[in-house]
Amino acid sequence: MLGKNGILKELVTNRILFLMLLPTLVFFIINSYVPMVGVYYAFTRFDFNTSLFNSQFVGLENFKFLWQSGVLAKLTLNTIGYNIVFILLGNTLAIALAILLSELRLQWFKKLTQSIMFLPYFVSFVILSVIVYNVFNYESGFLNSTLKQFGAEPVDVYNTPWVWIFLIIIFYLWKNIGYSMVIYLASITGISEEYYEAAKIDGANIFQRIWYITVPMLKTTFVMLLLFALGSIMKGQFDLFYQLVGNNGMLYNTTDILDTYVYRSLKVTFDIGMSTAAGLYQSLFGFILIMTVNYMIKKINDEYALF
Amino acid sequence: MRQKATKAAALLLSVIMLITVLAACSSNNTGNTKNGNATNAPAEGAANEGTGTKTGIDTSKKVELQFYMLGDAPKDLASIQEEINKMALEDLNATVKFNYTSWTDWDQKYKLLLGSGQQVDLIFTAEWTQYQSYAKKGAFQALDKLLPVAAPALNEFVPADMWEAVKIDGSIYTVPATYKEYVTDGFVWREDLREKYNLPKPVDIATFEQYLDGIKKNEPAMTPLSMNSDVKTNLMDRFRSITHSPIGALPYGLGIKYDTPNDVYSYWGSDEQKEDLTTLQRWQDNGYMVKNVLAVKDTLQDQITSGKAAAIIGDNPNRFNDMVIKIQSTHPEWKLGYHPFPLTTGIATPVHPIHNGFAIPASSKNAERALAFYEKMVTDKRYNMLTQYGVEGKNYEVKDGYYSMIGDNNSNGFPREGMNGWAWRNPEFMLFDKNYDGVKAIFDELDKIQVPDKFTGFAEDYTAYQAERAALEQVEKQYLFPLQAGLVKNIDEGLQTFLEKAKQAGLEKIQAEYTKQWQEYVTAQGIK
Repeated sequence: MLGKNGILKELVTNRILFLMLLPTLVFFIINSYVPMVGVYYAFTRFDFNTSLFNSQFVGLENFKFLWQSGVLAKLTLNTIGYNIVFILLGNTLAIALAILLSELRLQWFKKLTQSIMFLPYFVSFVILSVIVYNVFNYESGFLNSTLKQFGAEPVDVYNTPWVWIFLIIIFYLWKNIGYSMVIYLASITGISEEYYEAAKIDGANIFQRIWYITVPMLKTTFVMLLLFALGSIMKGQFDLFYQLVGNNGMLYNTTDILDTYVYRSLKVTFDIGMSTAAGLYQSLFGFILIMTVNYMIKKINDEYALF
Repeated sequence: MRQKATKAAALLLSVIMLITVLAACSSNNTGNTKNGNATNAPAEGAANEGTGTKTGIDTSKKVELQFYMLGDAPKDLASIQEEINKMALEDLNATVKFNYTSWTDWDQKYKLLLGSGQQVDLIFTAEWTQYQSYAKKGAFQALDKLLPVAAPALNEFVPADMWEAVKIDGSIYTVPATYKEYVTDGFVWREDLREKYNLPKPVDIATFEQYLDGIKKNEPAMTPLSMNSDVKTNLMDRFRSITHSPIGALPYGLGIKYDTPNDVYSYWGSDEQKEDLTTLQRWQDNGYMVKNVLAVKDTLQDQITSGKAAAIIGDNPNRFNDMVIKIQSTHPEWKLGYHPFPLTTGIATPVHPIHNGFAIPASSKNAERALAFYEKMVTDKRYNMLTQYGVEGKNYEVKDGYYSMIGDNNSNGFPREGMNGWAWRNPEFMLFDKNYDGVKAIFDELDKIQVPDKFTGFAEDYTAYQAERAALEQVEKQYLFPLQAGLVKNIDEGLQTFLEKAKQAGLEKIQAEYTKQWQEYVTAQGIK
């Protein structure tokens, strides 16, 4: 009873603030919380003629296809592996580039570089896949035509799985680096000039200023972006993998991630129960991961934690 | 601070719980009412029939029907729809909205349309949209009782044996098209190049290979065989259909010969398969197909009409004719040749009635009106002509009994069968392009050796092995596709790996269950 009174009182005193919160709350309730009811689909056999709660309960049967052929471990490993590289390499490079750009004094050059680096972000992966095919295909691709010009042996990129680990990482960075760089650039701009002036007076050179002022100041941004990225670590970059690899089974050992596997499986056997099961597995895994990392960060430094 | 957060969380949780309960209730309700309607429907219809109304159904309430077709809508669809609605409003007190899925990811959209419970009153069905499986799973409404009431003319119009043929577990779930055609495959090749280099006419795999070889030697810039990443359907199924006379495109590596429908054998791992894979590997090694064939996304037809490739291993008469027409305007000096497989194998099966049809999904609340409307589309000349050919004088004209398009594909907003109206074709009203005479000639030839389709009527129920099926599909893509594309050096080893993985995915269970269902079907239907 006491608690209820507390909530009511709280609602009355801060009603304007709560009113401002309302649209966001409604948004998340409608789009995130209500659909959660559908999680139950993962445990039922889908039936066109009855409603969700009247369907037959089948336990974990819908999850079976994930481990049926023994690929779950490989898929999970691939998904996490790629994402860790994306997160670490992506952020490090973005920070480095942001610092370099922020130190540039030539305004027009800075703006131009920034725009050029941002542009790939707008290129769709479908178009990218066409470009990649035209560069790497065996008979008439740009790469092999050039190699033949110089009398070298042509290479068969599309049938060489290990190359794709690097290609996928490179294309990911090419497309996304401009975007995350801008975020870091914004936080660098937010750092007060006074620090740098003070450091200059103390005789710190440019590298010391970067290492002792800029980098530590970017830590919060980094941790936040990291936590956001971790939440979707099991989802990976579906478009990137699906468009670049597609039906090419030769490359699946090194390039197949959960999302592409699930998509391909359920494209043939469409079953709402099985798709929900796959989605649930991904979400649950992401949830556990983000809770653990957040807990760890909280232990180290309370201020950096997300919640 | 902490306490407040806990309180807020508690509040949020209770709100969610409340909403969950409400949502559950409401979904239960809709479920019940839907069932109620379905059971009431025939009774209502029967009652009205006695009063002698024109259509035999209750049309007092105005409804809007949601009509779904695959593919892309023609540009002039809006004005056609308006015309149709004027008539439909008068005849049936209904309007219709024609919706199109576009060809991109149509299969996902199709599944969602049926699965999400949204209002869909009429939807296209075919064996390639898994009509049999969906019907078996209860995605469509049974039409048996509804047909004589809501669409008596249509019920008469479609021959009884066709109604019989589309039945799944004893009930009709789709309205079949009555136009007889063949979609059997055949070799397609560049005839002008064949004449130029004096190559043999492809009639079987051996002569086809000689043709490919001749192209490779004489036209080094050209790819002899047009192929893309879907090697399963585009290469293997067709290869098997010309070499092994199968009863149909069988899944899960099973094999059934047309002449012995009772004998099911495992094609995967057989000597037959090894031989086929050796041939395909030779094709790959000799450069008849591109090395990165698994990464190619172009359609087979585009590769021919653009001049990149010289031959297709198998395509149907209609699509062959489309290519001929396209080449006539772009490269009049090129010629295409065609040899239907049935002339070699002797198995010419006209399309099964399941091949084109329209069904009423379980989610439809206007089943009667939808069926009555569909009857109009098929049997009423005004509706039919308008939705097949557009407006006479604006979109087309009739010259010497032939269809003639006004303008060209770009300027004309409604080309022939622009609404993809394959399912509501009415042979009595049909108009053909002069170019179609070529196809008709092929059909006439096939008519002479026609045999019945024994395979398409079979409805597979994969509920029991759904998980295995999904897993096997992936194993096929990863280990079998490369073999089929001829990219694996050691065939025996590659096949062994594939079979091991397939077994792990549950191949044996799938094959056993499928075989059991098939044999039951064969016995029940008396197929020999």
